[in-house]
Amino acid sequence: MKRFTRDSLRFPTKEFDLLKEGTISLVIVAVLVLVVAGIWGAPYRPAVTNEAVSKTMPVVIEQTALGDLNGSGSIASYGPPYNNGWHGNAGSIQSLYGFSPQTWWGIPYPVNTAQDDVIGPLTMLAQASGNQALSQAIHTYATASYTQQQSWDQNLQNALNHATVANGNVMVAPGQYGPVATMMQYELQLARSGLLSGALNHETNNGVYRYNVQNDLLFLQGQALHKIANQLDMSGEQWGINHDESAFPGPWWLTPYTFFYQIPPWNTSSAGDQAAAYTVGLLFFLLILVPFIPGLNKLPRALPVHRIIWRDWYNRLEKNRLCETCALRASCEKEFKDTRTPVASKNVTPNCYQQKEPAASVRSPLHA
Amino acid sequence: MNWTTQVRTKVSEQLAWEKLLPSEQPIYVSSLVYSFGVLTLSSLVIVIVSGIIMASKGPLWYQSSVMGDYFRSVHFWSVQAFFFFMTMHLVGQFFMGSWREGRSFTWVLGALSFGVSVVTAFTGYLSRGDFFSQWNQVQSKDAFNGAGLDGFFNALNNGQIYGLHIAVLPAILILLVAWHLVAVRRMGVVPPYPAKMKKGGGR
Repeated sequence: MKRFTRDSLRFPTKEFDLLKEGTISLVIVAVLVLVVAGIWGAPYRPAVTNEAVSKTMPVVIEQTALGDLNGSGSIASYGPPYNNGWHGNAGSIQSLYGFSPQTWWGIPYPVNTAQDDVIGPLTMLAQASGNQALSQAIHTYATASYTQQQSWDQNLQNALNHATVANGNVMVAPGQYGPVATMMQYELQLARSGLLSGALNHETNNGVYRYNVQNDLLFLQGQALHKIANQLDMSGEQWGINHDESAFPGPWWLTPYTFFYQIPPWNTSSAGDQAAAYTVGLLFFLLILVPFIPGLNKLPRALPVHRIIWRDWYNRLEKNRLCETCALRASCEKEFKDTRTPVASKNVTPNCYQQKEPAASVRSPLHA
Repeated sequence: MNWTTQVRTKVSEQLAWEKLLPSEQPIYVSSLVYSFGVLTLSSLVIVIVSGIIMASKGPLWYQSSVMGDYFRSVHFWSVQAFFFFMTMHLVGQFFMGSWREGRSFTWVLGALSFGVSVVTAFTGYLSRGDFFSQWNQVQSKDAFNGAGLDGFFNALNNGQIYGLHIAVLPAILILLVAWHLVAVRRMGVVPPYPAKMKKGGGR
């Protein structure tokens, strides 16, 4: 049986001007937005650069570069879509009960951090400046055994934990660092000059355009950005993206998503991002399907809110006792009981619909 | 079968001018809740106009000039207004059970519009070109990668993000919103829930 539908245009009507209401609404919103924008502006905190970090946190630059060189950095061992991990060990592949679509696409955005973040940029610097000492250091490192490389890297990594800064340079205690200390000094100088970002961006863009900032951001994404974000309460467990600069509203509509990052098992799982994404996807799917979900699609009728929204209509029915005076009373009652079967033939409208509202009761604008 | 005749007949029946541009409404359309839809649409117009101005001048303009900064602010606040009114509209329509009596697809289109708006706004935040963009790019990459979207989307590729934000996603959103509006006008606003009947036949 076809579901009975009430034609909204067969209800008593009142005058309405769609275009006028649309125009009034547009003017109200435009004035509001233009004024608020003029008074408060919008949040904007200048982007962080490797150059700036090299001056404020030079040790972080060397630690990041060294992590990229020896494989201890998070991107070095990330896995797809950037690489296959460090020597086959991937640390950032998320998987829910063996379901891991992250790995389905291969390595679409390849990153070899040792080569891309350190060896490559330093080679460019050595070539551009004719720096034989740097060229020799790179050559020595590249031709050494993996065990030897790791030994130098580890020694310097330990030393950097106790490093000091003098005149912008990172000072470490004497040790067995091989060519790595020299390489890290030049990496820091390159960053300080502003050209490290240029070298990293050069790698991820095939031409002169700079659309893809992947390697530049991946270099910054570890300690450097996290230290700054934590100072601004913007890390994931601090509701991250949910809030903007303190005085401005952030993208609060992401609250359901960021909420899951605050509670277990999402904030404790190694696949927390994957789980949160799927959970929110499922919730969104439910939102789309509200009209079809038994119980949920009847919920608003049980809640009293609709009686407030349509209070004028219900008051009118009450006041005029329309059902009681309706010539088609039986039909009318069935009508208001929301029966699924038609209560009147197609050409007959229940009297309760035909009551015309007095002109004086026509209500005002913005009821679209 | 003449496709043209069929389409013309169906469109003229279902999308008559008195439905698309009504000059009358049922008297139950009498609440502030009915304003949230048109206020959402008005906000979207401001979002699009300010966005077109920003796109025509380019990212460096809206990041580093006084006038660019103002239009970025207009874009920012119109997005806030858009989401505020859209959320109120969604909540209001839920309490009105506005999917009833043949209007399910209207709800589906509205919910899809909400979802596409969230993604569009997110790519906008990534296109701001400041620390907030950087931070959310590196943070969100793990979510996109982990969810298996890495094959389609690189959150660190500004060119892709910007293209999605100013062309692809707005086109989808405008299409959905237009479809939603036509669906609303075609069916008319949903009638109130039936009144509770009192014993003896009255309400």
